[in-house]
Amino acid sequence: MAAGARKSASGLAKEFTFSKWRALRVLSISVFLALVAASPAAAQDVTAPDPGEFSARCLTCHAQEYLGSVASEEGDKSLYIDPTVYEESAHGILPCNSCHAGFTHDPHQMVTNAEFFAETAGEACKNCHDDQFEMYKQSYHGELSRDATADGVSAPLCVDCHGAHDIARVETLEYRQSIADLCGRCHGGRESTFLDTYHGKSLTLGREASATCVDCHGDHSILPVSNPLSKLSKANILPTCQECHPDATEGFTTFLVHIKPTSMKAPIVVFLVAMGYLALIVVVFAFGGIHSILYAYRGLKDGLYSRKGGH
Amino acid sequence: MSQGTDAKEGVTLVYHRFSAFHRFSHYLVMVSFFGLVFTGFPLKFRDSYWSQIIIDLLGGVAAAGFVHRVMAVVNIVYFVLEVGYMSYYVVARKGPIFHDDSIVPNKKDWADMKGMFRWFLGLGAKPRLSRFTYWEKFDFWALFAGTFLIGGSGLMMWFPEATTRILPGVALNVALVLHSNEAFLATGVIFIFVHFFSAHGRPESFPADEVIFSGYLPVEHYIHERPHEYENRLKAGTLHQVVRPAPTAKRRRIFRWITAAMTTFGFLAASYTLLLILWPLFF
Repeated sequence: MAAGARKSASGLAKEFTFSKWRALRVLSISVFLALVAASPAAAQDVTAPDPGEFSARCLTCHAQEYLGSVASEEGDKSLYIDPTVYEESAHGILPCNSCHAGFTHDPHQMVTNAEFFAETAGEACKNCHDDQFEMYKQSYHGELSRDATADGVSAPLCVDCHGAHDIARVETLEYRQSIADLCGRCHGGRESTFLDTYHGKSLTLGREASATCVDCHGDHSILPVSNPLSKLSKANILPTCQECHPDATEGFTTFLVHIKPTSMKAPIVVFLVAMGYLALIVVVFAFGGIHSILYAYRGLKDGLYSRKGGH
Repeated sequence: MSQGTDAKEGVTLVYHRFSAFHRFSHYLVMVSFFGLVFTGFPLKFRDSYWSQIIIDLLGGVAAAGFVHRVMAVVNIVYFVLEVGYMSYYVVARKGPIFHDDSIVPNKKDWADMKGMFRWFLGLGAKPRLSRFTYWEKFDFWALFAGTFLIGGSGLMMWFPEATTRILPGVALNVALVLHSNEAFLATGVIFIFVHFFSAHGRPESFPADEVIFSGYLPVEHYIHERPHEYENRLKAGTLHQVVRPAPTAKRRRIFRWITAAMTTFGFLAASYTLLLILWPLFF
Protein backbone atom coordinates (compact mmCIF):
# COMPACT_ATOMS: atom_id res chain seq x y z
CA MET A 1 0.00 0.00 0.00
CA ALA A 2 2.81 2.35 0.93
CA ALA A 3 4.72 1.62 -2.27
CA GLY A 4 1.65 2.34 -4.41
CA ALA A 5 1.03 5.64 -2.73
CA ARG A 6 4.64 6.64 -3.15
CA LYS A 7 4.53 5.78 -6.84
CA SER A 8 1.51 7.99 -7.43
CA ALA A 9 3.18 10.71 -5.44
CA SER A 10 6.20 10.64 -7.69
CA GLY A 11 3.83 10.74 -10.69
CA LEU A 12 2.23 13.88 -9.34
CA ALA A 13 5.61 15.38 -8.79
CA LYS A 14 6.42 14.91 -12.48
CA GLU A 15 3.22 16.67 -13.55
CA PHE A 16 3.89 19.73 -11.49
CA THR A 17 7.50 20.24 -12.39
CA PHE A 18 6.90 23.96 -12.82
CA SER A 19 6.46 24.17 -9.06
CA LYS A 20 8.87 21.95 -7.21
CA TRP A 21 7.62 23.23 -3.88
CA ARG A 22 4.13 22.18 -4.69
CA ALA A 23 5.44 18.84 -5.85
CA LEU A 24 7.36 18.42 -2.66
CA ARG A 25 4.29 19.27 -0.63
CA VAL A 26 2.15 16.75 -2.48
CA LEU A 27 4.88 14.17 -2.19
CA SER A 28 5.33 14.60 1.51
CA ILE A 29 1.59 14.48 2.18
CA SER A 30 1.26 11.33 0.07
CA VAL A 31 4.14 9.64 1.85
CA PHE A 32 2.71 10.67 5.20
CA LEU A 33 -0.71 9.28 4.29
CA ALA A 34 0.87 6.10 2.98
CA LEU A 35 2.80 5.61 6.19
CA VAL A 36 -0.25 6.32 8.28
CA ALA A 37 -2.30 3.87 6.25
CA ALA A 38 0.41 1.23 6.50
CA SER A 39 0.80 1.61 10.23
CA PRO A 40 -1.28 -1.04 12.00
CA ALA A 41 -1.41 1.11 15.10
CA ALA A 42 -3.27 3.75 13.20
CA ALA A 43 -5.36 1.41 11.07
CA GLN A 44 -8.08 1.34 13.67
CA ASP A 45 -9.55 4.58 14.80
CA VAL A 46 -8.83 4.14 18.47
CA THR A 47 -10.51 6.83 20.43
CA ALA A 48 -8.18 6.63 23.36
CA PRO A 49 -9.19 8.66 26.35
CA ASP A 50 -6.52 10.78 27.89
CA PRO A 51 -4.22 8.10 29.36
CA GLY A 52 -3.27 10.32 32.22
CA GLU A 53 -6.82 10.83 33.29
CA PHE A 54 -8.21 7.33 32.75
CA SER A 55 -5.28 5.33 33.99
CA ALA A 56 -4.80 7.51 37.00
CA ARG A 57 -8.21 6.43 38.21
CA CYS A 58 -7.36 2.74 37.80
CA LEU A 59 -4.06 3.20 39.52
CA THR A 60 -5.69 4.86 42.49
CA CYS A 61 -6.37 1.31 43.65
CA HIS A 62 -4.13 -0.89 41.47
CA ALA A 63 -0.89 0.89 42.32
CA GLN A 64 -1.41 -0.15 45.93
CA GLU A 65 0.51 -3.26 46.86
CA TYR A 66 -1.96 -4.07 49.66
CA LEU A 67 -4.60 -4.81 47.03
CA GLY A 68 -3.52 -8.45 47.16
CA SER A 69 -4.44 -11.07 44.63
CA VAL A 70 -7.33 -13.11 43.32
CA ALA A 71 -7.40 -16.87 42.91
CA SER A 72 -7.51 -18.24 39.38
CA GLU A 73 -7.05 -21.61 37.71
CA GLU A 74 -3.42 -20.72 37.02
CA GLY A 75 -2.78 -19.73 40.62
CA ASP A 76 -3.04 -16.45 42.43
CA LYS A 77 -2.95 -13.39 40.21
CA SER A 78 -1.72 -10.18 41.72
CA LEU A 79 -3.96 -7.16 41.28
CA TYR A 80 -1.05 -4.83 41.85
CA ILE A 81 0.40 -2.91 38.90
CA ASP A 82 3.80 -1.32 39.23
CA PRO A 83 3.31 2.03 37.43
CA THR A 84 7.04 2.37 36.62
CA VAL A 85 7.20 -1.08 35.00
CA TYR A 86 4.07 -0.29 33.00
CA GLU A 87 5.30 3.11 31.87
CA GLU A 88 8.59 1.61 30.68
CA SER A 89 6.81 -1.13 28.74
CA ALA A 90 6.09 -0.84 25.03
CA HIS A 91 2.49 0.12 25.92
CA GLY A 92 3.48 2.66 28.54
CA ILE A 93 1.54 5.49 26.95
CA LEU A 94 -1.73 3.57 26.49
CA PRO A 95 -4.57 3.88 28.97
CA CYS A 96 -5.67 0.75 30.82
CA ASN A 97 -8.92 0.38 28.88
CA SER A 98 -7.15 0.04 25.53
CA CYS A 99 -6.73 -3.59 26.50
CA HIS A 100 -9.20 -3.94 29.36
CA ALA A 101 -12.04 -3.07 27.02
CA GLY A 102 -15.43 -2.62 28.55
CA PHE A 103 -14.18 -1.27 31.84
CA THR A 104 -15.53 2.06 32.83
CA HIS A 105 -14.41 4.83 35.07
CA ASP A 106 -16.60 3.50 37.79
CA PRO A 107 -15.53 0.77 40.19
CA HIS A 108 -15.94 -2.35 38.08
CA GLN A 109 -17.38 -5.77 38.36
CA MET A 110 -14.75 -8.25 39.47
CA VAL A 111 -13.83 -10.61 36.62
CA THR A 112 -11.66 -13.67 36.84
CA ASN A 113 -8.49 -13.89 34.87
CA ALA A 114 -9.82 -16.79 32.80
CA GLU A 115 -12.92 -14.84 31.89
CA PHE A 116 -10.87 -11.86 30.87
CA PHE A 117 -8.64 -13.91 28.62
CA ALA A 118 -11.44 -15.95 27.12
CA GLU A 119 -13.47 -12.90 26.19
CA THR A 120 -11.04 -10.15 25.47
CA ALA A 121 -7.39 -11.16 25.32
CA GLY A 122 -7.19 -11.77 21.60
CA GLU A 123 -9.68 -9.07 20.76
CA ALA A 124 -7.92 -6.48 22.86
CA CYS A 125 -4.64 -6.99 20.98
CA LYS A 126 -6.45 -7.26 17.66
CA ASN A 127 -7.73 -3.70 17.95
CA CYS A 128 -4.27 -2.39 17.14
CA HIS A 129 -2.35 -5.44 15.88
CA ASP A 130 -4.81 -6.81 13.38
CA ASP A 131 -2.23 -8.25 10.94
CA GLN A 132 -0.37 -10.11 13.64
CA PHE A 133 -3.63 -11.36 15.08
CA GLU A 134 -4.74 -12.72 11.70
CA MET A 135 -1.40 -14.53 11.30
CA TYR A 136 -1.69 -15.88 14.82
CA LYS A 137 -5.20 -17.18 14.17
CA GLN A 138 -3.93 -19.23 11.24
CA SER A 139 -0.88 -20.50 13.13
CA TYR A 140 -0.63 -23.69 15.15
CA HIS A 141 -0.77 -21.64 18.33
CA GLY A 142 -3.96 -20.00 17.11
CA GLU A 143 -5.42 -23.38 16.25
CA LEU A 144 -4.67 -24.57 19.77
CA SER A 145 -6.36 -21.50 21.23
CA ARG A 146 -9.62 -22.57 19.61
CA ASP A 147 -9.16 -26.05 21.02
CA ALA A 148 -7.74 -25.10 24.36
CA THR A 149 -9.25 -27.96 26.30
CA ALA A 150 -7.80 -30.73 24.14
CA ASP A 151 -5.41 -32.91 26.15
CA GLY A 152 -5.40 -30.22 28.78
CA VAL A 153 -3.16 -28.16 26.51
CA SER A 154 -3.29 -24.52 27.30
CA ALA A 155 -2.73 -22.56 24.10
CA PRO A 156 -0.33 -19.64 24.15
CA LEU A 157 -2.15 -16.34 23.84
CA CYS A 158 -0.52 -13.05 22.85
CA VAL A 159 0.41 -12.22 26.43
CA ASP A 160 2.16 -15.54 27.03
CA CYS A 161 4.97 -14.55 24.68
CA HIS A 162 4.73 -10.77 24.85
CA GLY A 163 3.85 -10.15 28.48
CA ALA A 164 1.03 -7.94 29.66
CA HIS A 165 1.68 -4.97 31.90
CA ASP A 166 5.40 -5.39 31.27
CA ILE A 167 4.85 -5.89 27.54
CA ALA A 168 8.19 -6.31 25.80
CA ARG A 169 9.79 -4.13 23.19
CA VAL A 170 10.38 -6.87 20.62
CA GLU A 171 13.34 -5.20 18.96
CA THR A 172 15.45 -5.21 22.12
CA LEU A 173 18.32 -7.62 22.76
CA GLU A 174 16.81 -8.53 26.13
CA TYR A 175 13.60 -9.70 24.49
CA ARG A 176 15.43 -11.65 21.81
CA GLN A 177 17.52 -13.29 24.53
CA SER A 178 14.40 -14.27 26.45
CA ILE A 179 12.67 -15.95 23.50
CA ALA A 180 14.34 -19.37 23.90
CA ASP A 181 13.20 -19.57 27.50
CA LEU A 182 9.71 -18.36 26.57
CA CYS A 183 9.39 -21.13 23.99
CA GLY A 184 10.97 -23.59 26.42
CA ARG A 185 8.10 -23.12 28.87
CA CYS A 186 6.02 -25.34 26.60
CA HIS A 187 8.66 -26.86 24.32
CA GLY A 188 10.84 -28.04 27.18
CA GLY A 189 14.35 -29.22 26.28
CA ARG A 190 14.33 -27.64 22.85
CA GLU A 191 15.67 -24.37 24.22
CA SER A 192 18.74 -25.95 25.82
CA THR A 193 19.82 -27.70 22.63
CA PHE A 194 19.39 -24.41 20.79
CA LEU A 195 21.40 -22.54 23.42
CA ASP A 196 24.28 -24.99 22.89
CA THR A 197 24.62 -24.00 19.23
CA TYR A 198 26.66 -21.03 18.06
CA HIS A 199 23.42 -19.10 17.51
CA GLY A 200 22.36 -19.70 21.10
CA LYS A 201 25.74 -19.07 22.69
CA SER A 202 26.43 -15.87 20.81
CA LEU A 203 22.92 -14.52 21.39
CA THR A 204 23.25 -15.24 25.11
CA LEU A 205 26.45 -13.20 25.15
CA GLY A 206 24.87 -10.28 23.33
CA ARG A 207 25.19 -10.83 19.58
CA GLU A 208 21.89 -9.37 18.35
CA ALA A 209 22.24 -10.68 14.80
CA SER A 210 22.15 -14.32 15.97
CA ALA A 211 19.06 -16.25 14.99
CA THR A 212 16.71 -17.42 17.71
CA CYS A 213 13.64 -19.73 17.69
CA VAL A 214 11.29 -17.40 15.82
CA ASP A 215 13.78 -16.53 13.10
CA CYS A 216 13.72 -20.11 11.84
CA HIS A 217 10.32 -21.36 13.02
CA GLY A 218 8.38 -18.18 12.37
CA ASP A 219 6.64 -16.01 14.93
CA HIS A 220 2.93 -15.15 14.69
CA SER A 221 2.34 -17.57 11.84
CA ILE A 222 4.30 -20.43 13.43
CA LEU A 223 3.45 -23.92 12.18
CA PRO A 224 4.79 -27.40 12.89
CA VAL A 225 7.77 -28.34 10.73
CA SER A 226 5.61 -31.12 9.23
CA ASN A 227 3.21 -28.51 7.78
CA PRO A 228 4.15 -27.65 4.16
CA LEU A 229 3.56 -23.97 4.93
CA SER A 230 6.06 -23.96 7.81
CA LYS A 231 9.22 -21.85 7.38
CA LEU A 232 11.13 -25.09 7.98
CA SER A 233 9.19 -27.41 5.68
CA LYS A 234 11.19 -29.18 2.96
CA ALA A 235 10.18 -26.57 0.40
CA ASN A 236 10.77 -23.53 2.62
CA ILE A 237 13.81 -24.35 4.74
CA LEU A 238 16.48 -23.25 2.26
CA PRO A 239 15.05 -19.74 1.73
CA THR A 240 14.72 -19.48 5.52
CA CYS A 241 18.43 -20.27 6.03
CA GLN A 242 19.28 -17.93 3.16
CA GLU A 243 17.68 -14.99 4.98
CA CYS A 244 20.94 -14.82 6.93
CA HIS A 245 23.21 -17.16 4.94
CA PRO A 246 22.69 -16.14 1.29
CA ASP A 247 25.24 -18.70 0.08
CA ALA A 248 23.56 -21.64 1.82
CA THR A 249 22.75 -24.73 -0.22
CA GLU A 250 20.66 -27.87 0.45
CA GLY A 251 23.44 -29.44 2.53
CA PHE A 252 23.44 -26.43 4.85
CA THR A 253 19.80 -27.03 5.78
CA THR A 254 20.55 -30.46 7.20
CA PHE A 255 22.51 -29.08 10.17
CA LEU A 256 20.73 -30.35 13.27
CA VAL A 257 19.99 -27.68 15.84
CA HIS A 258 18.04 -29.71 18.39
CA ILE A 259 20.34 -32.60 19.23
CA LYS A 260 22.09 -33.45 22.47
CA PRO A 261 25.46 -34.92 21.41
CA THR A 262 25.71 -37.22 24.45
CA SER A 263 22.24 -38.65 23.86
CA MET A 264 21.73 -41.94 22.05
CA LYS A 265 19.16 -40.14 19.91
CA ALA A 266 21.86 -37.97 18.31
CA PRO A 267 23.28 -39.12 14.95
CA ILE A 268 25.70 -41.95 15.63
CA VAL A 269 28.76 -40.06 14.38
CA VAL A 270 28.04 -37.10 16.68
CA PHE A 271 27.37 -39.43 19.60
CA LEU A 272 30.61 -41.35 19.02
CA VAL A 273 32.72 -38.20 18.80
CA ALA A 274 31.14 -36.83 21.98
CA MET A 275 31.57 -40.05 23.95
CA GLY A 276 35.05 -40.67 22.55
CA TYR A 277 36.17 -37.26 23.75
CA LEU A 278 34.53 -37.74 27.12
CA ALA A 279 36.52 -40.95 27.59
CA LEU A 280 39.72 -39.38 26.27
CA ILE A 281 39.38 -36.37 28.57
CA VAL A 282 38.78 -38.55 31.63
CA VAL A 283 41.71 -40.87 30.84
CA VAL A 284 44.19 -38.13 29.91
CA PHE A 285 43.33 -35.86 32.84
CA ALA A 286 43.39 -38.74 35.30
CA PHE A 287 46.69 -40.12 34.01
CA GLY A 288 48.31 -36.68 33.74
CA GLY A 289 47.05 -35.70 37.18
CA ILE A 290 48.28 -38.90 38.85
CA HIS A 291 51.62 -38.69 37.04
CA SER A 292 52.15 -35.09 38.17
CA ILE A 293 51.13 -35.75 41.76
CA LEU A 294 53.42 -38.77 42.03
CA TYR A 295 56.29 -36.86 40.43
CA ALA A 296 55.87 -34.00 42.90
CA TYR A 297 55.57 -36.51 45.76
CA ARG A 298 58.87 -38.16 44.82
CA GLY A 299 60.47 -34.75 44.42
CA LEU A 300 59.37 -33.63 47.86
CA LYS A 301 60.24 -36.93 49.51
CA ASP A 302 63.77 -36.95 48.10
CA GLY A 303 64.28 -33.25 48.78
CA LEU A 304 64.80 -32.57 45.08
CA TYR A 305 62.90 -29.28 45.19
CA SER A 306 65.35 -27.78 47.69
CA ARG A 307 68.40 -28.66 45.59
CA LYS A 308 68.58 -25.14 44.16
CA GLY A 309 70.48 -25.15 40.91
CA GLY A 310 72.08 -28.34 42.01
CA HIS A 311 72.29 -29.67 38.51
CA MET B 1 73.09 -21.09 38.14
CA SER B 2 76.34 -22.91 37.64
CA GLN B 3 77.70 -23.28 34.14
CA GLY B 4 79.55 -26.26 32.68
CA THR B 5 83.27 -25.57 32.70
CA ASP B 6 85.92 -27.03 30.52
CA ALA B 7 88.76 -27.31 33.05
CA LYS B 8 91.56 -26.99 30.50
CA GLU B 9 90.27 -23.98 28.54
CA GLY B 10 88.42 -22.26 31.35
CA VAL B 11 85.43 -21.75 28.98
CA THR B 12 81.89 -22.11 30.35
CA LEU B 13 79.77 -24.44 28.19
CA VAL B 14 76.04 -24.93 27.77
CA TYR B 15 73.94 -27.56 26.07
CA HIS B 16 72.03 -26.13 23.12
CA ARG B 17 68.62 -27.79 23.16
CA PHE B 18 66.27 -25.56 21.13
CA SER B 19 67.03 -23.61 17.97
CA ALA B 20 65.67 -20.13 17.28
CA PHE B 21 62.99 -21.76 15.12
CA HIS B 22 61.80 -23.97 17.98
CA ARG B 23 61.71 -21.04 20.37
CA PHE B 24 59.89 -18.83 17.88
CA SER B 25 57.32 -21.58 17.24
CA HIS B 26 56.76 -21.89 20.97
CA TYR B 27 56.01 -18.16 21.23
CA LEU B 28 53.50 -18.48 18.39
CA VAL B 29 51.84 -21.42 20.14
CA MET B 30 51.80 -19.64 23.50
CA VAL B 31 50.23 -16.45 22.25
CA SER B 32 47.73 -17.98 19.85
CA PHE B 33 46.74 -20.79 22.21
CA PHE B 34 45.91 -18.40 25.00
CA GLY B 35 44.28 -15.96 22.60
CA LEU B 36 42.00 -18.76 21.41
CA VAL B 37 41.17 -19.92 24.92
CA PHE B 38 40.57 -16.36 26.06
CA THR B 39 38.09 -15.63 23.28
CA GLY B 40 36.61 -19.12 22.87
CA PHE B 41 35.94 -20.30 26.41
CA PRO B 42 33.38 -17.59 27.16
CA LEU B 43 31.24 -19.17 24.43
CA LYS B 44 31.83 -22.70 25.67
CA PHE B 45 31.02 -21.66 29.24
CA ARG B 46 28.40 -19.09 28.32
CA ASP B 47 26.70 -19.28 31.72
CA SER B 48 29.83 -18.47 33.68
CA TYR B 49 29.67 -15.08 35.37
CA TRP B 50 33.02 -14.16 33.83
CA SER B 51 32.05 -14.98 30.26
CA GLN B 52 29.84 -11.93 29.81
CA ILE B 53 32.47 -9.72 31.44
CA ILE B 54 35.24 -10.96 29.15
CA ILE B 55 33.07 -10.64 26.05
CA ASP B 56 32.02 -7.11 27.01
CA LEU B 57 35.66 -6.25 27.72
CA LEU B 58 36.58 -7.37 24.21
CA GLY B 59 33.75 -5.31 22.74
CA GLY B 60 31.16 -8.00 22.07
CA VAL B 61 30.86 -11.44 20.51
CA ALA B 62 31.78 -10.19 17.04
CA ALA B 63 35.01 -8.58 18.29
CA ALA B 64 35.90 -11.71 20.28
CA GLY B 65 35.19 -13.75 17.17
CA PHE B 66 37.52 -11.56 15.15
CA VAL B 67 40.38 -12.02 17.65
CA HIS B 68 39.62 -15.77 17.68
CA ARG B 69 39.96 -15.95 13.89
CA VAL B 70 43.18 -13.91 13.85
CA MET B 71 44.64 -16.30 16.43
CA ALA B 72 43.38 -19.23 14.39
CA VAL B 73 45.38 -17.94 11.44
CA VAL B 74 48.49 -17.82 13.67
CA ASN B 75 47.68 -21.42 14.58
CA ILE B 76 47.56 -22.41 10.93
CA VAL B 77 50.85 -20.57 10.32
CA TYR B 78 52.75 -22.46 13.01
CA PHE B 79 51.19 -25.75 11.95
CA VAL B 80 52.38 -25.21 8.39
CA LEU B 81 55.81 -24.10 9.66
CA GLU B 82 56.06 -27.24 11.79
CA VAL B 83 55.11 -29.52 8.89
CA GLY B 84 57.66 -27.64 6.77
CA TYR B 85 60.31 -28.13 9.45
CA MET B 86 59.52 -31.84 9.68
CA SER B 87 59.87 -32.21 5.91
CA TYR B 88 63.14 -30.31 6.02
CA TYR B 89 64.37 -32.49 8.91
CA VAL B 90 63.50 -35.73 7.12
CA VAL B 91 64.25 -34.85 3.49
CA ALA B 92 67.01 -32.24 3.48
CA ARG B 93 68.80 -32.87 6.76
CA LYS B 94 68.18 -36.64 6.65
CA GLY B 95 67.73 -36.53 10.42
CA PRO B 96 67.18 -39.84 12.19
CA ILE B 97 63.49 -40.68 12.59
CA PHE B 98 63.50 -43.93 14.55
CA HIS B 99 66.22 -43.01 16.97
CA ASP B 100 66.30 -42.80 20.77
CA ASP B 101 66.76 -39.04 20.50
CA SER B 102 64.08 -38.28 17.94
CA ILE B 103 60.55 -37.06 18.76
CA VAL B 104 58.99 -40.29 17.40
CA PRO B 105 57.66 -42.55 20.18
CA ASN B 106 59.54 -45.84 20.63
CA LYS B 107 59.85 -48.86 22.94
CA LYS B 108 62.14 -47.00 25.30
CA ASP B 109 59.29 -44.59 26.11
CA TRP B 110 57.16 -47.44 27.39
CA ALA B 111 60.06 -48.74 29.49
CA ASP B 112 60.82 -45.23 30.75
CA MET B 113 57.21 -44.71 31.77
CA LYS B 114 57.15 -47.93 33.77
CA GLY B 115 60.52 -46.98 35.22
CA MET B 116 59.29 -43.54 36.26
CA PHE B 117 56.29 -45.02 38.09
CA ARG B 118 58.63 -47.43 39.89
CA TRP B 119 60.81 -44.46 40.84
CA PHE B 120 57.78 -42.45 41.99
CA LEU B 121 56.84 -45.30 44.32
CA GLY B 122 60.39 -45.81 45.58
CA LEU B 123 60.79 -49.17 43.81
CA GLY B 124 63.77 -48.34 41.63
CA ALA B 125 66.19 -45.75 40.32
CA LYS B 126 65.09 -42.96 38.01
CA PRO B 127 65.27 -44.11 34.35
CA ARG B 128 67.97 -42.57 32.19
CA LEU B 129 65.95 -40.29 29.91
CA SER B 130 66.62 -39.25 26.31
CA ARG B 131 66.44 -36.00 24.41
CA PHE B 132 62.64 -36.15 24.53
CA THR B 133 60.85 -37.92 27.38
CA TYR B 134 57.59 -39.78 26.85
CA TRP B 135 55.58 -36.91 28.41
CA GLU B 136 57.31 -34.41 26.13
CA LYS B 137 56.49 -36.56 23.12
CA PHE B 138 52.88 -36.74 24.32
CA ASP B 139 52.81 -32.96 24.70
CA PHE B 140 54.16 -32.44 21.20
CA TRP B 141 52.04 -34.97 19.34
CA ALA B 142 48.88 -34.12 21.28
CA LEU B 143 49.30 -30.48 20.29
CA PHE B 144 50.19 -31.40 16.72
CA ALA B 145 47.15 -33.64 16.25
CA GLY B 146 44.97 -31.30 18.29
CA THR B 147 45.90 -28.29 16.16
CA PHE B 148 44.93 -30.22 13.06
CA LEU B 149 41.58 -31.35 14.50
CA ILE B 150 40.62 -28.09 16.14
CA GLY B 151 41.85 -26.05 13.19
CA GLY B 152 39.97 -28.23 10.71
CA SER B 153 36.72 -28.15 12.67
CA GLY B 154 37.17 -24.42 13.28
CA LEU B 155 37.55 -23.74 9.57
CA MET B 156 34.40 -25.78 8.90
CA MET B 157 32.44 -23.56 11.26
CA TRP B 158 34.13 -20.41 9.97
CA PHE B 159 32.87 -21.25 6.45
CA PRO B 160 29.69 -23.27 7.06
CA GLU B 161 28.19 -22.57 3.62
CA ALA B 162 31.30 -23.81 1.80
CA THR B 163 31.57 -26.84 4.10
CA THR B 164 28.00 -27.95 3.44
CA ARG B 165 28.49 -27.69 -0.30
CA ILE B 166 30.75 -30.73 0.07
CA LEU B 167 29.59 -32.39 3.28
CA PRO B 168 26.15 -32.95 4.83
CA GLY B 169 24.96 -30.59 7.57
CA VAL B 170 25.72 -33.14 10.27
CA ALA B 171 29.42 -32.44 9.57
CA LEU B 172 28.89 -29.08 11.28
CA ASN B 173 27.35 -30.87 14.27
CA VAL B 174 30.46 -33.06 14.46
CA ALA B 175 32.71 -30.02 14.04
CA LEU B 176 31.06 -28.19 16.93
CA VAL B 177 31.30 -31.17 19.30
CA LEU B 178 34.88 -31.89 18.26
CA HIS B 179 36.05 -28.27 18.48
CA SER B 180 34.55 -27.72 21.90
CA ASN B 181 35.82 -31.01 23.40
CA GLU B 182 39.28 -30.78 21.84
CA ALA B 183 39.59 -27.25 23.22
CA PHE B 184 38.72 -28.48 26.69
CA LEU B 185 41.11 -31.43 26.42
CA ALA B 186 44.00 -29.33 25.11
CA THR B 187 43.50 -26.63 27.71
CA GLY B 188 43.44 -29.17 30.52
CA VAL B 189 46.57 -30.88 29.17
CA ILE B 190 48.52 -27.64 28.73
CA PHE B 191 47.40 -25.52 31.66
CA ILE B 192 46.76 -28.07 34.35
CA PHE B 193 47.41 -31.76 33.97
CA VAL B 194 50.51 -32.20 31.82
CA HIS B 195 52.44 -29.37 30.21
CA PHE B 196 52.80 -26.73 32.93
CA PHE B 197 53.72 -29.29 35.54
CA SER B 198 56.16 -31.21 33.37
CA ALA B 199 57.79 -28.01 32.11
CA HIS B 200 57.96 -25.94 35.28
CA GLY B 201 56.59 -27.94 38.21
CA ARG B 202 58.95 -30.94 38.14
CA PRO B 203 61.62 -30.92 40.83
CA GLU B 204 64.30 -30.72 38.09
CA SER B 205 62.97 -27.43 36.70
CA PHE B 206 60.85 -25.84 39.46
CA PRO B 207 59.88 -22.99 39.58
CA ALA B 208 60.57 -22.24 35.91
CA ASP B 209 62.45 -23.89 33.09
CA GLU B 210 64.30 -21.35 30.98
CA VAL B 211 65.24 -23.73 28.20
CA ILE B 212 62.31 -23.03 25.84
CA PHE B 213 63.01 -19.29 26.05
CA SER B 214 66.82 -19.27 26.08
CA GLY B 215 67.39 -22.45 24.09
CA TYR B 216 70.19 -23.75 26.32
CA LEU B 217 70.74 -25.30 29.73
CA PRO B 218 73.88 -25.80 31.82
CA VAL B 219 75.83 -28.88 30.81
CA GLU B 220 75.65 -30.45 34.31
CA HIS B 221 71.89 -30.01 34.24
CA TYR B 222 71.81 -31.65 30.81
CA ILE B 223 73.87 -34.65 31.89
CA HIS B 224 71.68 -35.09 34.92
CA GLU B 225 68.38 -34.66 33.06
CA ARG B 226 69.11 -36.35 29.70
CA PRO B 227 71.77 -38.95 30.56
CA HIS B 228 70.75 -41.26 27.73
CA GLU B 229 71.17 -38.61 25.03
CA TYR B 230 74.46 -37.53 26.61
CA GLU B 231 75.86 -41.06 26.55
CA ASN B 232 74.65 -41.63 22.97
CA ARG B 233 76.37 -38.45 21.83
CA LEU B 234 79.49 -39.29 23.78
CA LYS B 235 79.65 -42.69 22.08
CA ALA B 236 78.85 -41.31 18.61
CA GLY B 237 81.20 -38.38 19.07
CA THR B 238 78.44 -35.81 18.29
CA LEU B 239 78.54 -33.94 21.59
CA HIS B 240 80.27 -30.98 19.93
CA GLN B 241 77.13 -30.40 17.84
CA VAL B 242 75.10 -29.43 20.87
CA VAL B 243 77.62 -27.95 23.29
CA ARG B 244 78.48 -24.31 22.96
CA PRO B 245 80.12 -21.54 24.95
CA ALA B 246 77.69 -19.97 27.39
CA PRO B 247 76.04 -16.68 26.44
CA THR B 248 77.26 -13.52 28.13
CA ALA B 249 76.06 -12.70 31.64
CA LYS B 250 73.89 -9.94 30.19
CA ARG B 251 72.10 -12.30 27.80
CA ARG B 252 71.62 -14.82 30.58
CA ARG B 253 70.01 -12.12 32.70
CA ILE B 254 67.68 -11.15 29.83
CA PHE B 255 66.59 -14.76 29.35
CA ARG B 256 65.88 -15.03 33.06
CA TRP B 257 63.62 -11.97 32.89
CA ILE B 258 61.86 -13.31 29.79
CA THR B 259 61.30 -16.64 31.53
CA ALA B 260 59.89 -14.90 34.60
CA ALA B 261 57.54 -12.83 32.44
CA MET B 262 56.42 -15.81 30.34
CA THR B 263 55.78 -18.13 33.28
CA THR B 264 53.78 -15.36 34.95
CA PHE B 265 51.79 -15.03 31.72
CA GLY B 266 51.24 -18.80 31.73
CA PHE B 267 50.19 -18.78 35.37
CA LEU B 268 47.68 -15.99 34.71
CA ALA B 269 46.38 -17.78 31.62
CA ALA B 270 45.81 -20.97 33.61
CA SER B 271 44.18 -19.01 36.44
CA TYR B 272 41.83 -17.30 34.00
CA THR B 273 40.75 -20.63 32.59
CA LEU B 274 40.21 -22.19 36.00
CA LEU B 275 38.30 -19.12 37.16
CA LEU B 276 35.99 -19.27 34.16
CA ILE B 277 35.33 -22.99 34.47
CA LEU B 278 35.12 -23.33 38.25
CA TRP B 279 33.27 -20.12 39.11
CA PRO B 280 29.80 -21.51 38.28
CA LEU B 281 30.45 -24.45 40.60
CA PHE B 282 30.79 -22.19 43.62
CA PHE B 283 28.75 -19.07 42.89
